[in-house]
Amino acid sequence: MTRRASPFQRVLVANRGEIAVRIIRACHELGMEAIAVYSDIDAGALHVRMADDAVRLGPAPASESYLRIDAIVEAARATGSDAVHPGYGFLSERAAFARALEDAGIVFVGPPSGVIDGLGDKVNARRLARSVGVEGVPGSVDPVDVGRPDAVAGIIADAERIGFPLLVKAAAGGGGRGMRRVSTADALPAALEAGSAEAAAAFGDGSVYLEREIHPARHIEVQLLGDATGRVVAIGERDCSIQRRHQKLIEEAPAPGLSGDERRHLHGLAVKVASAAGLRNAATAEFLRTPDGRYYFLEVNTRLQVEHGVTELVAGIDIVREQFWLAAGRPLSAAAEAAAAAAAEPAGHAIEVRLAAEDPAHDFAPGPGPIRHWVMPSGPGVRVDTGLGQGDRVPPDYDNLMAKILVHADDRDGAIDRLRRALDETEIAGLQSTLPFHRYVARHAGFRAGDLSIEWVAEHWDGPGERARFVNVAVAAAASAASGLTEGRGVPGADPARLDPAAVGTWGNVARAEATDRWPR
Amino acid sequence: MATVSHWRVTDRATGEILGESDPPVGGPNREGKPGERPLVLPSTALPSVRGRIPLEVVVGGWRFDLEGEDAAIAEIRERATAGHEAAVHHGPTEVRAIIPGRVVAVAVVAGEAVMTGQRLLAVEAMKMENELRAPRDGTIDRVVVAVGQTVELGDALVVIR
Repeated sequence: MTRRASPFQRVLVANRGEIAVRIIRACHELGMEAIAVYSDIDAGALHVRMADDAVRLGPAPASESYLRIDAIVEAARATGSDAVHPGYGFLSERAAFARALEDAGIVFVGPPSGVIDGLGDKVNARRLARSVGVEGVPGSVDPVDVGRPDAVAGIIADAERIGFPLLVKAAAGGGGRGMRRVSTADALPAALEAGSAEAAAAFGDGSVYLEREIHPARHIEVQLLGDATGRVVAIGERDCSIQRRHQKLIEEAPAPGLSGDERRHLHGLAVKVASAAGLRNAATAEFLRTPDGRYYFLEVNTRLQVEHGVTELVAGIDIVREQFWLAAGRPLSAAAEAAAAAAAEPAGHAIEVRLAAEDPAHDFAPGPGPIRHWVMPSGPGVRVDTGLGQGDRVPPDYDNLMAKILVHADDRDGAIDRLRRALDETEIAGLQSTLPFHRYVARHAGFRAGDLSIEWVAEHWDGPGERARFVNVAVAAAASAASGLTEGRGVPGADPARLDPAAVGTWGNVARAEATDRWPR
Repeated sequence: MATVSHWRVTDRATGEILGESDPPVGGPNREGKPGERPLVLPSTALPSVRGRIPLEVVVGGWRFDLEGEDAAIAEIRERATAGHEAAVHHGPTEVRAIIPGRVVAVAVVAGEAVMTGQRLLAVEAMKMENELRAPRDGTIDRVVVAVGQTVELGDALVVIR
């Protein structure tokens, strides 16, 4: 047997959690060694255990570990890594990081630093899109100078031209930080000041711009791949409309309700912007879709997206694998070209839910904690990407994504049925997760009908009300368990022979007895 | 051990009595649809009151942090401590961490008068800042934590008298 060629020998994975695990898997499939990096709190994490070797970066705070360009470049050099994959978040869109690796003669698996620079600033990216005839959401193209009182009159005139309600947005960032909704002109100065201050605190840059509010809007994005010859292709789109705090909760591919022609048009817009920017490797162009089918360009993310998996399932390719070959200088693969050719008429449907450590009854407030019980779904058409397991803790220091549950089926109805089934198999205890929200969406008639908008959560989700529906069952279960424990017979209805009264003190048996009791005998 | 005829079930976070229940016949596990069957785990927390049984119940993905207590004993205890609790009500109030995280701002100092809803401090976890506000009017007796300090769920942060 001859050994198949690998794009690189050894890859340092500059990330943590589920995405580090995802990338390490691709490394191993491609016959490459994977080097993990970790902060002190992650020393025993799955990505560290899976990697061939691991390098400590520093204490838990990201600024002292996963965001340290110097430490990561040094780790890559010390381990003899010939490439670094940044994942998403952390340093993935820092041109300075890509440049530091380029200078060290190590391949950055992503677009060149110049492309990251050009597209990273949203105002720049919008200007570039406009130059090739791709319209952004109507708004101010240049960042607003909030610091100059004499400029405020001009800003208000701009705002009148754009129309209210409008949004004040941070030029340097995303995730809803620095964003303010303004419905009248007199509320504008205060919103500019507050938005700019928040942006400065979050991104170190207080520049903001104005944008018309589109309502109801859908968030649809296009997955792009580009090679060193300058060829850029779209391999499909994703609908990511279901969000909270402007962060995605559910994504699907393809976007429901689009015709082949509409897809071709949308993919064309994305390719035009990316080609103009000189894109290489992988990126995603984000758009807002109005109810009458118009697309407004938002931004390009020059990295692997959290939700790349739904596109992989539908397009039948491995995007991380493609990234490695593209980074090694290969032209677009036959698989990527085939996926691009089929992108306007996709077969099959995939949906992803992001299980996060937060409370959907309290405005999705994040809450770290221990994972005391953890059952992830499996079976036909189900993929789970996670870096966690039972006994792990979700630390307070990083993003609170615990797992991505992806389902794939022949069509959207089949995918929703599969999602509902998969979520019914999912069990998490020890901390509150977004699971109840996902279960609700999977049963919602409007979601099934494809009635999606970025206001979906605000319009359809009553977290406290949903939780209240389960209080009585929880109380009965608690009373029943308390009885069983104090009387030494375990949970009523369970076989006493299988529940050792002496072990009742080690309460874990209660849960175990319940779990085994579900099996038919 | 004697059989308990009624259980009182309390929410550990709020102290709210959620219900009193007879021990049901048959297991709760046999009821409900898949995905909505309760999962019961021991709580890792100590009982808030002696004799209570802390339990973590998850149903439909919702986590309930509960305590079961013999309803008859609960009533006796309540009668015995009625006077004491009235006194406590006028005593100092401890503001505790509602999430684990890092203290990023402290807005008050000892001796300062505060009004209900006034911002006391902020705890950051998972890139989100969570503000803690005064639950009642009063004077800051002491500030237990400082900026940069890591706090665990339930840690005392500020005492108001």
